[in-house]
Amino acid sequence: MLSISLILFCSIFFAGIILRTKSITSGRMGPGILQPVKDVIKLFRKGTIYSDTTSIIFRIAPSVTFASVLMACMVIPFGSSKGLVSFDGDFIFFAYILALGKFFSIIAAMDTGSSFEGMGASREALYSMFAEPAFFILIGSFALLTGNTSFYKIFSSLHLGSSITYMLGALASFVLMMIAMIENSRMPVDDPKTHLELTMIHEVMILDNSGFDLGLILTTGYLKFAMYGALIADFFIGNLTALWAIPVFIFIQCLFAVMVGLIESFMARFRMSHNPQFILALSSVSFLIFLGVLLVLEKFV
Amino acid sequence: MTNVLLIIFIISLLYVSIANRIITYVRVLALQGVILFGVTFLQLHAIETWNLALIMLETIVFKAIAVPVFLSYLIKRNKITRVTEPYLPNFISLIIITMIVVITVLLANSIQDTHLDKIFFIVSLSTLFTGLYFIASRKKIITHVMGYLMIENGVFVLSLAVGNEMPNLVNLGIMLDVFASVLILGIFLNKIGDVFKAADVDQLSNLKDY
Repeated sequence: MLSISLILFCSIFFAGIILRTKSITSGRMGPGILQPVKDVIKLFRKGTIYSDTTSIIFRIAPSVTFASVLMACMVIPFGSSKGLVSFDGDFIFFAYILALGKFFSIIAAMDTGSSFEGMGASREALYSMFAEPAFFILIGSFALLTGNTSFYKIFSSLHLGSSITYMLGALASFVLMMIAMIENSRMPVDDPKTHLELTMIHEVMILDNSGFDLGLILTTGYLKFAMYGALIADFFIGNLTALWAIPVFIFIQCLFAVMVGLIESFMARFRMSHNPQFILALSSVSFLIFLGVLLVLEKFV
Repeated sequence: MTNVLLIIFIISLLYVSIANRIITYVRVLALQGVILFGVTFLQLHAIETWNLALIMLETIVFKAIAVPVFLSYLIKRNKITRVTEPYLPNFISLIIITMIVVITVLLANSIQDTHLDKIFFIVSLSTLFTGLYFIASRKKIITHVMGYLMIENGVFVLSLAVGNEMPNLVNLGIMLDVFASVLILGIFLNKIGDVFKAADVDQLSNLKDY
């Protein structure tokens, strides 16, 4: 219960912090950190327009995507307290409930019949497909390290002790952060600010959504960020008491948001053909984490 | 701590496989020099102080500073284009280098020898094969030299694993290093870039008899 409420709380200001960081680094004041939420509230009050070519799938897709991300948030624990749902193998549930949401947003984009949206959908599917092995090797290595298969048990029995486990924690945070950037279609892979349909990935998929649906999709993006931030934070707050864990959690979320903002300010978007190799590099790094886990467990050497 | 440095070393190999610019290779070579400096400091605690000081001075001066500075000077002086120009796409390079790491891990795991320090063995062998792969898959002569330097880093890592028992082996590694520096000095200060404007091995295929 604690984890889902904290994730919801952090998702309120997450996008605002990213926006503010980007504004400050480019020398502007920028909007207040609640501006994205205000935008979403404004969109929620508006009506929705559906194209004549779309079917029921286009109408239910934003809700399904939102619900899937909400479900995924529920399995994430908070330090040593359980998430709302927790069972053995829940990290597989986590990955595939997200994939279900993504599947619906993809077929909704195809449903509109626009060639641009089909292209964006194809790219989105490709990049999430490449990001999946990275995630599974990463969480699988930690499952091997702790001998458990649920998020709650993995994180509560994970104790970062020696220098090599700190290294693994740092690498894991890096990989998770990059996966979060890919899943949210942010800078190194996709530019949320681009205005050319040919270079968009996520933005082009939601061109036909308006009003309430668009607000729901934006909210899903904020929630996803906070969800991955919570996963990263869990690596470090496993053995803290709740009194300390909450400030540390919020601090890590803010740090994550600031780093996303900094990356977006100082990096250019990769060329489209360079994206697969970048995402595959994440899988290679996760594989090194796996080797590091084998090293810690003294399976070899 | 040594393991952490060696894992960073492998990550540098993955990074170099997807790099697009030659200057990135130079930076990675400098980074590898710094990592080797750290590994030397942590690993060789049983050899005499003067010898250790010499080895550490060599790693930091030659590997981390002199060779990279000299390479970047050569790139500027010979007006070598900044793109790496591989024969294969970087995506395939990444897969191949990951496969190299996997195969060396499997190889090291199948060797039943308690004297062998396996993480050193894995890192050195995968660096060696990566260097060979670089020489085989890049067009320019300067990237071949960089691949050679990478191979030599791999040999150095392997010599560090046994450095406490056989310090002379590390000294031999240093000799190789100095030799390589002289080699690139010899190749490139002989104005190879001035005579042949593009130091590109592709042009050798134009040589044929009729």
